[in-house]
Amino acid sequence: MKKSYKLLLFIFLISSYVSYAQESTNPIAVTDSTKKDTLNYYDMTIEQLLSLKAHGVPSELEKLINSLISVASKKPLNVRESPSIVTLVTAEEIKNSGARDLIDVLRLVPGVDFGVDVQGVVGIGMRGNWAHEGKVLILLDGQEMNEILYATTQFGNHFPIDQIKKIEIIRGPGSAIYGGYAEYGVINIITKQGGDINGVAISGIYGQTEKDYMRRNINLSAGKKLGDFEWSVSGMIGQGQRSDQNYTDVHGNSYSMIGNSALNPAFANIGVSYKGLSFRAIGDFYHTSTQDGYDAIYPKPYTQNFNSMYFELKYLWKVSNKLTITPKLNYKNQSPWKTPQGDSIDPSYLKTATRSTANITASYNPTRKINVVFGGEYYRDMAVDKLPGDTFYNGKQSVSFYNYAFFVQGLIKTRFVNIILGARYDKHNVYGDAFVPRVGLTKKFNRFHFKALYSNSFRAPAIENIDYSGANGIHPERTQVGELELGYQITHNSIFTVNFFDISTKNPIIYYTVGAGTDAYTNQGRTGTYGLEAEYRMKEKWGYISVNYSFYSAAGTQKSAAYRVAQDSSMLLGFASHKVNLNASINILKNLSLNPSGTFYGPRWGYNSVDTSGVAQLHKFSPVILFNLFLKYNTPITGLSIGVGVYDLFNQQFVFIQPYAQPGSVTNLPHAPLPGPPREFIFRLSYNFNFKAKTTN
Amino acid sequence: MLLLFLFLNGVSAKCVAQDVDYKAYTLFVYNFMKYVEWPEAQSKGDFVVCIFGESPIQKELAGLASSKKLKGRNIIIKNISKPEDAAGCQLLYVSASKSGNIKALKDQMMGKPILIVGEREGLAKKGAELSFVTMDDDELKFDINKKEIEQHQLKISSQLISLGIVVN
Repeated sequence: MKKSYKLLLFIFLISSYVSYAQESTNPIAVTDSTKKDTLNYYDMTIEQLLSLKAHGVPSELEKLINSLISVASKKPLNVRESPSIVTLVTAEEIKNSGARDLIDVLRLVPGVDFGVDVQGVVGIGMRGNWAHEGKVLILLDGQEMNEILYATTQFGNHFPIDQIKKIEIIRGPGSAIYGGYAEYGVINIITKQGGDINGVAISGIYGQTEKDYMRRNINLSAGKKLGDFEWSVSGMIGQGQRSDQNYTDVHGNSYSMIGNSALNPAFANIGVSYKGLSFRAIGDFYHTSTQDGYDAIYPKPYTQNFNSMYFELKYLWKVSNKLTITPKLNYKNQSPWKTPQGDSIDPSYLKTATRSTANITASYNPTRKINVVFGGEYYRDMAVDKLPGDTFYNGKQSVSFYNYAFFVQGLIKTRFVNIILGARYDKHNVYGDAFVPRVGLTKKFNRFHFKALYSNSFRAPAIENIDYSGANGIHPERTQVGELELGYQITHNSIFTVNFFDISTKNPIIYYTVGAGTDAYTNQGRTGTYGLEAEYRMKEKWGYISVNYSFYSAAGTQKSAAYRVAQDSSMLLGFASHKVNLNASINILKNLSLNPSGTFYGPRWGYNSVDTSGVAQLHKFSPVILFNLFLKYNTPITGLSIGVGVYDLFNQQFVFIQPYAQPGSVTNLPHAPLPGPPREFIFRLSYNFNFKAKTTN
Repeated sequence: MLLLFLFLNGVSAKCVAQDVDYKAYTLFVYNFMKYVEWPEAQSKGDFVVCIFGESPIQKELAGLASSKKLKGRNIIIKNISKPEDAAGCQLLYVSASKSGNIKALKDQMMGKPILIVGEREGLAKKGAELSFVTMDDDELKFDINKKEIEQHQLKISSQLISLGIVVN
């Protein structure tokens, strides 16, 4: 471990020196270019005025921090004034890092972490809080990826990261816009559309550990923009494994995950648009296998599939320069956690759920300084249990719910501050209503910016939460979040931001068992964290570097027993209080870059065994450094790039810890930590063939 | 480690970050001169640009005046502290610090062939003929008050109009 620290420190110092040396030489370069510029600058054509920026020729970093995003407000605003704590991840950063899947990408984001749920599934955490079941909304090209039976999203060799154009991440609440799955955060994945692809792109990854392959995936995309018409078709198919390690359950029984922890994705995404009208269809067939049940392993592996289809028809109607109305219809059909009959040791689970949604949103700009977004949404959920003899809580093999919502948001921009006020009201026919207002103040003053945000948010109980809620019923859990961000752009090429947050959740929806192990959900107690996240980003000609630090504490907060660490009141189960990320890219040669990335995790707590009386025992896991290196080479063949690298160079063999439990129970025992991939060598290849640009005379 | 890194990379580096680029503002002003037409009487002799109030643009405009001419005419930059001193100017640049005087300026310059350019956003709605706007993505644009331009006996080219935002 000490060696790991020293090596990291050495790399930091080297990159610091390189950056310092570059900065030191910059004044000469600036002076020279200024002189040259002055000769021609005022001879620019009038059309060239269109490219001028108020703060000069933007650096690559400035292009990034001034780029407009709409995830936090629907109305496009630049990153520094967007009314949420936001991280923007670009395709360039993903490609350079050699990231294997979304876990690798999101792990580098402050506050984001991962833990194990059950049956080999890995889910997301946010700022120390377990957020797997319906607390972080995952959007892919506007489609809600969370399955609607439990509201989970499964991570690990699942989504086609090679097709991502950018990811906009809200590291805080988003319910006032997005409703009941956005209590703690929103991850908005935007893939490359026809105009971005403009041809055909093919890419592949192969990952190998010392014992076995970890992934072999192929991506294929094609697309084109022809005037007002744009189309794209993309797909990914592959095979992967969670780990090549042995999994040991809390009782001490083990199995090898080689061949028994499949993560096989098959993903297709079609988008067509003409003027304001657009259609999208996504198929997501994520087939896994595992040998672990909840607490105990099974004698042989079983399959567990997550199948989803998404459809959207949308029309962006520009009524006038000031008013836009967007009606939208969505339909999704999902069969998650599917363990077929005859193939299963685990009790079979064959439920299908559909959601049909109608949404209409209006955006009105009476002046450039004022924007009002308002609208309504209605959705209907239906679920069918296909196992003979199985029923829902109503005694039938199907259930149906509906929900309607209204939302409004006002944005006023003044010289001193941007004010955002918003609220959303949801009414569900079973669990009742939720009203979530929010207020935000943001502004940038040249180099400095600030954001002061206060939001209410909620988690909507999913179908199975209702199904297993028993006589007490279930209600939305409600959260209040206060956030303050301060940022300072130190140079053209570097920026430092820090934010503070305080999250308080009332009546979280907790999983537990009754009797001899019957599943149940209830609202219980409180939970929450407070902390800070700091980030430094630099982007120079030689490359870029990003370092961030996340800290959370639960000290002094009321904690539900499900998340509590008895030995350390400042921590919650599963997640480290301290996390440091590094993500860098250094251009060694014109076409060759070295890309180090890594994560330091402080100590974590989790259950990993039971004592002689059968009660689960907490264990403190040592700090971990995951360090990765990726070498990317753009070959002389246009469009062809290759890369080789290693993930988890120091072979720390990271484990995903379960961030919740039912302490003291001898029937509802926790899932032991799930091994992730150990040191993995990867090889990447990608080729982009661009269609010829249409020549105009 | 983070602090060490920040120290080496940030604090020691030259702080040349996102301050307002008055050179870009100057280029716009130069194009305003080129694409706005003054009455015959004001189209001869030196072209006088007056800056009302303190603004960093003065240095850039002085640089422009020393290196460029406007259709063969010398460009003269004057700094004025009272609106009355604007009588001989073709272009009056109202600095952000003097934005509060825009209504008085409008009344005082009523009908005179002077192009009033506001440094601060929103002035074109209050009496200036043109005023700068910084868009959300940092693009530099300008608002155009066509009524005021006509009242001041000036003509603005369609090319310039196509680049700006007409506010009335």
